[in-house]
Amino acid sequence: MQGITYLVAAYAIVWAGLFAYLGVVMLRIRGVRTELAAVTELMREQQEKNT
Amino acid sequence: MALAKRETRVERRDASAKEGSQAKRLPVISMVLLALTFAGMMISIWMVFIYAPTDAIEGDAQRIFYFHLPSAIIGMLAFAIVAVGGVVYLWKKDERWDWAARAAAEVGAVFLTFALITGSIWGRTTWGTWWTWDARLTTTLILWFIYIGYLMLRSYMGRSEAGARAGAVLAIIGLIDVPIIYESVNWWRTLHPQAVLPIGSSPQLPPEMLLTLLVAFVTFTLLFSLLLMQLYQLEKMQTLAQRLRASVEV
Amino acid sequence: MMFLEQVMAILWKDVRSEWRSKQMWTGMGLFAILVLVIFNFAFDLRVDNKAAVAPGALWVAFVFASMLGLGRTIAVEREKGTMDRLLLCPVDRKAVYLAKLLGNMLFIGVVEIVALPIFAVLFDVPLFFGPLLPIVLLGTLGIAAVGTLFAAMAAATRARELLLPILVFPLIVPVVIAAVRATGTLLVPAANEPPWLGLMAAFDVIFLSVSMLTFEYIVDE
Repeated sequence: MQGITYLVAAYAIVWAGLFAYLGVVMLRIRGVRTELAAVTELMREQQEKNT
Repeated sequence: MALAKRETRVERRDASAKEGSQAKRLPVISMVLLALTFAGMMISIWMVFIYAPTDAIEGDAQRIFYFHLPSAIIGMLAFAIVAVGGVVYLWKKDERWDWAARAAAEVGAVFLTFALITGSIWGRTTWGTWWTWDARLTTTLILWFIYIGYLMLRSYMGRSEAGARAGAVLAIIGLIDVPIIYESVNWWRTLHPQAVLPIGSSPQLPPEMLLTLLVAFVTFTLLFSLLLMQLYQLEKMQTLAQRLRASVEV
Repeated sequence: MMFLEQVMAILWKDVRSEWRSKQMWTGMGLFAILVLVIFNFAFDLRVDNKAAVAPGALWVAFVFASMLGLGRTIAVEREKGTMDRLLLCPVDRKAVYLAKLLGNMLFIGVVEIVALPIFAVLFDVPLFFGPLLPIVLLGTLGIAAVGTLFAAMAAATRARELLLPILVFPLIVPVVIAAVRATGTLLVPAANEPPWLGLMAAFDVIFLSVSMLTFEYIVDE
């Protein structure tokens, strides 16, 4: 019985950890996409101002 | 600087057109990898918990091994990727190799963390101790510290050429050092013969267990590739964003 | 200028500037001795225990003092801006590395020479200065070879005092193991000891070369 508790704990940790990490990575990617959009928008405005 | 900006405006328009078509291809590969990884995970879980027979000596806790071993090996191999990426970066000065190295470092560290945690739990169930200083475990722990050091160094030095070069050198030295560390801990251990944990030295695995292990291995490799790709894209976009913002805020 | 001349010139410059300040030497020396004293309280040192703990205490003191010293030399250079001026000259980067390495070894060496007799007194161990010399030399060379390279790396960051040990400690594990065991064998001779000096020598050769070759990638802009 004890062995199974550890087994479940180990797999639970790995799964929770993996999902958490995947979530964090997705958030970071979304953050960069927002930043990229903002910067390209800024660039477009600057180009229009110059031309 | 102004002249450079005027020239790069045209280049950027062309580049973004290329980006568009490239960007459409990448999600397809990512989607395929995601689907394969998911499928692999499902199959692995079924195999680990149901298909594989219970170990006679260690009982159910032995099943931790199927996730522990692949994550440990891939975690270690990832460091080789970091080092090779670093070497090629120093040689060719192509920053894409640095993006790959940085991505591999992060995913490798994550995998190695899981390996250490699962290994510790497994050790606790089977040999009654959360940790022992045998050569394999100790070297894994030290490699983990080298990973963390690499990530901290890259973080502190920011997104710069100096940071990329420093990371490359660290990875090279680390890669050369790991076998030496392993051997020296081995020598050190022969003087203190303690219980040797037969991790992975089980004589013959029955075919079902071997198959389960193989499937888990493939799944973890797929997972690694998936994460590596995502992080590579992340690095690429962050570098681009930083560069664009710098040119805008001049 | 020939390679060796470059090394000597830079080394002489560093030694002269540190000689004038004298802060580092005294600081490092006191620190090393304090570590030894704290070890005395940290471990219950009865007669039979001393021989087991003494080599470890000695090398912990040396490693920690080295970290202080390694960080300081390059940090001072950056503060004064002399590093950039040095790099502007067409000097071989390998020579710069070697000079820094030798300078570091000199500073750490002086601290070690001072700390050793005090160590012998505090821990009541006989001081086999002769056979101890190669161990201390090879060990310090190993720590300094890696440490000099990474001090240059960490100097560019803000948290350099924190980052340097984090980067260096894992990498010098073989040296620490070998040095402690070799010192231990001196105090308590044992049979069938692995060739620790040989390991340290191999480590030193390998990492001295690699560090010397990669140093230019760290310092050049």
